[in-house]
Amino acid sequence: MFGDYAALIVLLPVIAFVLTLFFGNKLPSGGAHLPIAAIAGSFIISLGTFFEIYPNGSVQQSMQWFSTLNFGILIDPLAVVMLMMVSFVSLLIHIYAVGYMAHDPAKPRYFAETSLFTAAMLAVVLSDNILQFFMAWEIVGLCSYLLIGFWYHKPTAAAAAKKAFLVTRVGDVLFLAGIVLLYVNMTNVITNTGFSLEPGNFILQFKSMFAAIPYIAPTQLTIITLLFFGGAVGKSGQFPLHGWLPDAMEGPTTVSALIHAATMVTAGVYLVARTFPMFVEAPNALLVVAYIGGFTAIFAATMGLVMNDIKRVLAYSTVSQLGYMMLALGTAGMVLGAKAVGISMFHLLSHAFFKALLFLCAGSVIHAVGTNDLREMGGLFGKMKITATTMFIAALALAGFGIPGLHIGTAGFFSKDAIIEGAYEYGYVTGDMIPYVFSILAALLTSIYIFRLWFMAFSGKPRQDRHAHESPPVMTVPLMILAVFALFFGFSQTGFYGYLETNFVLMGVEIGVHEGEAFHPSALILWLPIIVGVLGLVISYLIYNRRIVDMSRIVTRRNPLYQLLLNRYYEPGLSSYVIGEKLTHGTAAMTGEFVDRRIIDGFVIDTVISRTLLSLGDVLKKIQTGVVRNYISVMLLGVGLLIILLRIGGT
Amino acid sequence: MSLYIYLLVAAIIFTIGAYGIMTQKSGIKILMCIELMLNASNINLVAFSSFGGNATGQVFALFSIAIAAAEAGIGFAILVALFRVNGTINLDKINILRW
Repeated sequence: MFGDYAALIVLLPVIAFVLTLFFGNKLPSGGAHLPIAAIAGSFIISLGTFFEIYPNGSVQQSMQWFSTLNFGILIDPLAVVMLMMVSFVSLLIHIYAVGYMAHDPAKPRYFAETSLFTAAMLAVVLSDNILQFFMAWEIVGLCSYLLIGFWYHKPTAAAAAKKAFLVTRVGDVLFLAGIVLLYVNMTNVITNTGFSLEPGNFILQFKSMFAAIPYIAPTQLTIITLLFFGGAVGKSGQFPLHGWLPDAMEGPTTVSALIHAATMVTAGVYLVARTFPMFVEAPNALLVVAYIGGFTAIFAATMGLVMNDIKRVLAYSTVSQLGYMMLALGTAGMVLGAKAVGISMFHLLSHAFFKALLFLCAGSVIHAVGTNDLREMGGLFGKMKITATTMFIAALALAGFGIPGLHIGTAGFFSKDAIIEGAYEYGYVTGDMIPYVFSILAALLTSIYIFRLWFMAFSGKPRQDRHAHESPPVMTVPLMILAVFALFFGFSQTGFYGYLETNFVLMGVEIGVHEGEAFHPSALILWLPIIVGVLGLVISYLIYNRRIVDMSRIVTRRNPLYQLLLNRYYEPGLSSYVIGEKLTHGTAAMTGEFVDRRIIDGFVIDTVISRTLLSLGDVLKKIQTGVVRNYISVMLLGVGLLIILLRIGGT
Repeated sequence: MSLYIYLLVAAIIFTIGAYGIMTQKSGIKILMCIELMLNASNINLVAFSSFGGNATGQVFALFSIAIAAAEAGIGFAILVALFRVNGTINLDKINILRW
């Protein structure tokens, strides 16, 4: 019953978007209740659909759009868990935003845009073909632009919005190229080989794509998957297109929470997971995914260590965690097959809960003290007990605290350790330990930077006299709900993996789950992630709470390593100055100078051609008498001539 | 009565209209001449429809009358505006589009 109304999952927030945009300023609290009600409706339908199709059903609806393309809905296990997460987290963030945005004059615009943002992400999730996926993906990009630049009167916010739009656009172009290449290959396959679409299937539907995989040449498949991954790199902020994500912190904190937890950056991981059967058949692409993911995980974490803006730390944390998800798809995909999707998506979901929580806590702190700068905070624990406690829970979850032998732990413990174990198993099977080393080092850095953030914000003495106060219940209640999920979501791990393993089987794709010999990592491997997690906590405690090391002597302008990290490996300068100003703008200017000034002007200005044309114009313009009657007379004459000519031609 | 009589009347009216458009200077007179030409074509439409036994032409004539009314409305509005700006509706005086 719920499955039949699956289209409403997207349509409800879209309707709320329109209504809030036009009538929001006449409604209480900027029309916030419309999106909240609509997204709650989406969540209820998603939940109902989940219970309907569990354990091995799916919802498939499709209608022709034009020619061989279609619009459709596909809700399989992969989609339904995403739908529930996106609508649920988004709902909590919207409720929280009622409190957080209470004093903003542009509330209707804010709530309308976040509602559309959520709708677009839900549309990405339940697309049944790659083209519709791409269209919704683009709307997500548009909404991120609008929301990052929400305070557009701030020049930094406007610049950040532009950067986000342009950088993700690089990925989008690659993604679109991948779709075009796929389409060409699909049509070739249909005309040249025995492959044909099943009746009622359309060419770019995921199930058609998967069915055609054996017929597509492996090199073509590798290129297509790499182009898809290029799109995912842009959207999910992977190296080298990661620069926009930390800059995106210029938007309201609730927008950051939406982007980082629910609605945007996960789309890239979801794209790879969605087209995973293609990646499995292209091991080289999978290797690229693994290495980019692993490198991003550690690369972003190093920058998280030194940032002083509370939201920037979290932003780099997101980039790093997304790297983990890509790493899981890449490494575990090669040794564990379809189970990799389960591992990656499980981390995506648990990350969504604790990262939304971290951002909302940060928002609560910023709301209270009125600054983003960690150096101006401190000693907030006594004043903001709920925020401090829930943020500590989220930090524990991010650092992956738990006890391996007993299966007790936070959500991040279950999900991240599975990724690290997967990377180890990949190393064990192939002898390539680099991804594993990346992941374990990143885990150590993760733990250090997140507890550094917590200690700097909440412990010690206040560094500045700010009249901090706990946030109102409309903000703290979502925090507590998310904290519960960050703590206990991990226990659904076994059921979750089992549920997602059936995902591609439902579409008639068999991905071998290579579990030949039972794999039992040694106790050290099992315990190492939690050991480095605790180590990170201890290091941060000693440095930022006990202050056994005087950081002010290490963190100076003269320390080249610190300079490198603080300047984010000079990436912003590199991308905007070298690529933007020198390369792109320089090339365009040179081309313009050469083509326009030399070639075109050279031909035109004061040559035989131009002089002849000008003098001819002088003669011919006398025809334009400006007297309407003359024009009409000539027109009638013309019509008369035409009729006479037609008569002659007719006979 | 023969169809040709109707066509002859229409042709005469059309020619009067065309002549008026080519010779008159006042905007209003030109608009009136356009109406004449339109109605000549309406007569043709109705005549053919009546003799051909097909009602479509008469429906077209109704449409055409409605459109002519709208066209006249807009035309006179433009002329009023022109008169306010230039103080004249002599179209020979309004030639700012000339070279």
